Amino acid sequence: MRAERLEVRHVDLAAADIGSDREPALSVFWWKDLPLGARASLKDELPYGASQLRQLAAEYAAAQLQARSIGLGAPLRATYEGWPKPALSLEAALDAQNPVETLDAIAKPSCASAQDMSVVICTRDRGPALSKCLASLAAQRSPPGEIVVVDNSQDRNARDICGQFPDFRYVHEPRSGLSRARNTGVQTSRFEIVAFTDDDVEAHPGWTAEIAGVFAERDVEAFTGLVLPARLDTTAQCFFQFTMGGFGSTFVPLTFDRRFFEETRPSGAHVWKIGAGANMAFRRSVFERVGLFDERLGAGAAGCSEDSELWYRLLAAGGACVYEPRAVVFHHHRSDWAGLKRQIRAYMKGHVAALVAQYDNFGDRGNMVRIGRQLPVYFAKTFVKALFEGPPGRLAILAAEVQGWLAGLPFLLRFGWRMRRTPMGGVTVIADKETA
Amino acid sequence: MSYKLIEIELSQPLAPIELSAEQTGIGLVARWQGRLLAFEMIERPAGSTLTVENLKALAGERFAQLILVAKLEEELTARSPAQDMPLPSLSIAICSKDRAQRLCRLLRSLDQLRGESPFQFTEIIVVDNASVDTATREAVESFRDIRYVFEPKAGLDFARNAALHAAWGDIVAYLDDDVVVDRNWLAGLAKACRDNPGVGGFTGLVLPFRLDTQAQVFFERRGGFGRGFARREFHKARFDNPLHPVGAGILGAGCNMAFDRKLLIELGGFDEALDTGASLPGGGDLDIFYRVLRSGRPMIYEPEYAVYHEHRETMPQLRRQYWTWGLGMMAFLVKSYRTDDEMRARHRAMVRWWFFDQLKALARAARRLRGHELRFGIAELWGGIYGLAGEYDRSRARIRSIQERNS
Repeated sequence: MRAERLEVRHVDLAAADIGSDREPALSVFWWKDLPLGARASLKDELPYGASQLRQLAAEYAAAQLQARSIGLGAPLRATYEGWPKPALSLEAALDAQNPVETLDAIAKPSCASAQDMSVVICTRDRGPALSKCLASLAAQRSPPGEIVVVDNSQDRNARDICGQFPDFRYVHEPRSGLSRARNTGVQTSRFEIVAFTDDDVEAHPGWTAEIAGVFAERDVEAFTGLVLPARLDTTAQCFFQFTMGGFGSTFVPLTFDRRFFEETRPSGAHVWKIGAGANMAFRRSVFERVGLFDERLGAGAAGCSEDSELWYRLLAAGGACVYEPRAVVFHHHRSDWAGLKRQIRAYMKGHVAALVAQYDNFGDRGNMVRIGRQLPVYFAKTFVKALFEGPPGRLAILAAEVQGWLAGLPFLLRFGWRMRRTPMGGVTVIADKETA
Repeated sequence: MSYKLIEIELSQPLAPIELSAEQTGIGLVARWQGRLLAFEMIERPAGSTLTVENLKALAGERFAQLILVAKLEEELTARSPAQDMPLPSLSIAICSKDRAQRLCRLLRSLDQLRGESPFQFTEIIVVDNASVDTATREAVESFRDIRYVFEPKAGLDFARNAALHAAWGDIVAYLDDDVVVDRNWLAGLAKACRDNPGVGGFTGLVLPFRLDTQAQVFFERRGGFGRGFARREFHKARFDNPLHPVGAGILGAGCNMAFDRKLLIELGGFDEALDTGASLPGGGDLDIFYRVLRSGRPMIYEPEYAVYHEHRETMPQLRRQYWTWGLGMMAFLVKSYRTDDEMRARHRAMVRWWFFDQLKALARAARRLRGHELRFGIAELWGGIYGLAGEYDRSRARIRSIQERNS
């Protein structure tokens, strides 16, 4: 039986207090401040028994140790599927001492200063969500150097909300499109690291500290983090999280590098597995090296995928992106079914547009293979599976996906659109203009 | 075609594994500090040697992570407050029919564990299920302190119910006579009992006893009875499977299962029209797992509670086994459909899913030109069709006549 709504519950396995709640829930397991994994359960499966919890804790902890302990094979590269590729040897596993102590050490939260970081939030007509988002940013353990709110609405309706946070900078970008707003954010912001989140997101109090920690410890150009659901109150939200996979469910750090890019290139490099725009950051040098967000893509333009298209350029240029799930944000999924369908349709349309743009930029035929073969095969397989196995609603969402794909195909023929490429590299983005 | 079945201890120095000219692979049971960790079927050229380097590479890839999990699990167990609840009492019930030799083998393996039983008391009951001669009785008498019960009605679930009513223990652990228990079998069950007071039952790991024939290798490669090496808790619903608990086969197999005896008596015991012996040798385990879960009591899968099962020796026997799987599954579904109205939508969905899945497997086998797989797939599918077409009623009629003959 599928649950209609689930509570999102946070469980600290280090505290070993499981409580006795019996409402259906998505349990997010933590070891102190380190996210370990998530597991959805119905009422009848709860509360978890002691041995079941111990087994889960041991499995999650082993995955963390492998991914974070140098002696046990860390750091891990991402496989073709975007999953971690373990590099643990038998000797290392046999020699491992006091694993719980090691885990405690790993779980220590970062206290790195985020003074060198600009946080950019692009928003458009989402007042109540935005004020929650901004409140979560105001409560960061390591306050960032600046917080820039880019208002992409016509009538500057985010201005009053932003005014409640006197330290935040407000910029109005009247030309609609998420890519444009993000680029304005990049050009307006002043610090070395630019972190992005969305207006329908609440950040964990340690978010900026963890990002700053990653950039301080490693020579990283680009970063993505974990996006967890904030609430699962409606069928549409549950459907997005569980049937469509949400925004990913990997809880170990991964490196997406040139090798990942080359391995997946024949079928259109799987850059969308790198992360989500709701939780990403770049060193400013990235924009100088490979250019800004492609303004033809993204919400308000072709649909989405402006984030992954930038990663595509970065990886093609030999760069790497680090995924670090310690930096957590909570995303509010679309709560209504119609909204979800629109979103899925826009995703697919934007995905096709991004594939076309990537093909034009680099000539990788894999992008065309994905449009012309992989996606139709995926539709056919999903159709058969949905027909026999469900879940209910899958066919309607599949229809939205196919519509999005069809809506994306004309981009292939819009030669004027295809000519308007984003300049790659050589852009000066160290702007310092004050905007009111 | 045969595989060398071998056990390695990862905490000790490894030795190369040599294959004879007939052996085309290795069934590798890996332990770490005595604890069962993993089982792998590895295909190798006949007569070749798996060197220590090969073995280490394989162990790094497949077992190293499991060692880490086991270490963490032990450390976390040591940290949590120990529960000093006394363990319940245990009855080990073995149902056997005309297989005295195998029964002796099992009793010998149990004899070694019995001395150190952590349970309050431990009895062993052998139910002689209408054997034609006295060999079974004589076998039992050659061991000390084993209770012998004769059940004249032929049929595995008659025997299981006889054991249920004869047993004194709080927990009844059932074993088939074609298994041998692992050295940690009793300790594994004790651990599961201690960690999970109040659950309805337990299932455990089933590993191959030998891999000497093509059929045995084939069966194990097709999945065997293996349900993995992770402890799992099962309830009457499951988020990731909307059909659960109708597909109760994921819990384990009837050759190694244990239950709270009082609960089973409350539930009316095993369904005697399932698992009746030659004519319908299956479905009884699915049915009892399902009913226990439906009663609201969870069940625990514990990998250290492990047995070794002697798989079917010949290909025709194996084909028949797959046929009976289809037959037993559908007989169980028909029965549950009639008796459990609330779950009817799930039963229907399971029938659809089962046939869809079987056809998918057949298509895969046909595409890859796998003759045996295709024949086994057809056998299972045909068993399913035959089972759906009134097998449960036929079985009911058969057991009625058995009951009348014995009353």
